[in-house]
Amino acid sequence: MLNLFWHELRSRFGAILGWGIGLALFGAMNIGVWPEVGEQMQSMADLSIMLMLGMDLGSFAGFIASAVIGYIPLILGIYAIIASTGTLAGEEDDGTLELIVAAPLSRWQVVTVKAIALAIAAFLIIVIAGLGNALTLEAIRGLIEVDVTSAEFFVVTLSAWPITVAFMMMGLFLGAFLPSRRTAALTMTVIFIVSYFGLLLVRFAETLQPFEVLSLFNYFDFTATAFTEGPQAQDVGILLGVALVFFVLALLSFRRRNVTVGAWPWQRARLSG
Amino acid sequence: MSGAIVETQGLTFYYGKHRGIIDVDLSIDEGEVFGFLGPNGAGKTTTQRVLMDVIRPTKGRASIFGLDCQKEGVTIRKRIGYLPGELSLYPNMTGRNFLHMIGSLQEKKVKPSYRQELYQRLDIDPSRRMKEYSHGNKQKIGVVAAFMGKPDLLVLDEPTGGLDPLIQQVVMELVREARDDGRTVFFSSHVLPEVQAVCDRVGIIREGRLVKTERVEILTRRQFKRLHLSFRQLPPADAFAMEGVSETGREDLTVVLEVREGIQQVLEAAMPYGIEDIETPPVTLEEIFLAFYGRENQGGNRA
Repeated sequence: MLNLFWHELRSRFGAILGWGIGLALFGAMNIGVWPEVGEQMQSMADLSIMLMLGMDLGSFAGFIASAVIGYIPLILGIYAIIASTGTLAGEEDDGTLELIVAAPLSRWQVVTVKAIALAIAAFLIIVIAGLGNALTLEAIRGLIEVDVTSAEFFVVTLSAWPITVAFMMMGLFLGAFLPSRRTAALTMTVIFIVSYFGLLLVRFAETLQPFEVLSLFNYFDFTATAFTEGPQAQDVGILLGVALVFFVLALLSFRRRNVTVGAWPWQRARLSG
Repeated sequence: MSGAIVETQGLTFYYGKHRGIIDVDLSIDEGEVFGFLGPNGAGKTTTQRVLMDVIRPTKGRASIFGLDCQKEGVTIRKRIGYLPGELSLYPNMTGRNFLHMIGSLQEKKVKPSYRQELYQRLDIDPSRRMKEYSHGNKQKIGVVAAFMGKPDLLVLDEPTGGLDPLIQQVVMELVREARDDGRTVFFSSHVLPEVQAVCDRVGIIREGRLVKTERVEILTRRQFKRLHLSFRQLPPADAFAMEGVSETGREDLTVVLEVREGIQQVLEAAMPYGIEDIETPPVTLEEIFLAFYGRENQGGNRA
């Protein structure tokens, strides 16, 4: 089982490096322009659209929360969709899952190993991005006065992990529940887009605000308070709870799945035990 | 032989509305090589996938080593070497790493010396990535994965597919060696001569139903005999027009007959024309198989 886990992690090595470095560079670009555009940004701070979106550009912390931290789960969401629906559903489509399922492992072990590997991959990507952000901040610290430490920046970057894992487990479940990777990826993409842009719309319209609890992005703080107050334990708990629920649903769905067949759940045979 | 290793009762699987297998009752004894014969789409792969718990039966039961394939699949699969018919391997993984991963999951620890021997006999370099292998070389990796742990049961779905004739012979030798070790092999194929060469018994599956299970030599002997009869005087065309006899050729003074029943009547009918010579060339399983399916197709479903 450990060998399968190492294989899972090794197979994601390229993605971990690529997405991690990419996110670190994205952060570096945004942080690096602050000394030059900081004043301009501060002049936009009072724009009502920015305030409605919860973006505070009047401070360095507000700027990097909006322009860097806020985009991490959005960008990483693409990886979450690719990787999570590629696991189980993608492997089934490729035909590689048959030998794994035919190995002396129970279905729950297969799903658990893959879920852990996904979660660790996301964590390592965010760690690389966080280290990149912290290093960039250190590099420009002499040029500007900032109220954020590198350690704070690193920790706030890591706060993107629970929401990413929640989306990953959702994708894993959809891959185990729906008949093919294509349907899982399509469904996941729709949920992801609606979740993000839906929240932005909800924040514009007061009457829609009760629905904001349905978006996972509602539990991810990408404002300056993320730096002043740190990630909220309640939000982290909700996101990890969602991840756990979808992980359990993935376990249950995969337990009944006829691998290589790709049928809808209601077409699957009942388990004899 | 001592008791059934693989048993199925009324095993049925439907792909949605489409038939996979229907009411398959199968019993494979310990230490035998059981050939599973049938054309593409007959249900060979489906049966083996149910046994490996890759898919779950719509109806019926399957057990291996006396254990239920669904409830105790993990325990069962520790003792099985499996080669799927549609082998797909992780493209970026090397053959060696893949085999190491599969080997670590099996109950019997793989002896490195035996694995090395398999590399040599199958002429495969395991250090390359899967995506660099040809179809045949991937199949060799699959063969090594199935055999390397010397499992108690080998479930092989068309194991020689994509292999060159020399390597096909090596695979046949490995199957024979497994049988000589007292291990059991469940071997599906549509390549009839190889089934005939290594199998003790054969099951013929057609349109999802197991229509015949028989020892290979009995099946070969029972189904029909081919007679090459040479005469002094050529018999008339209707001389052998009788139940269970077909005339399949005639050349000069020789008549070729396929006799399913009534050999005595055939000889009595032949006597007046002066029999010069009688030859009974061996009938291959392939010929029996084709004759069997030919009759089924002409005479409706007998199963």
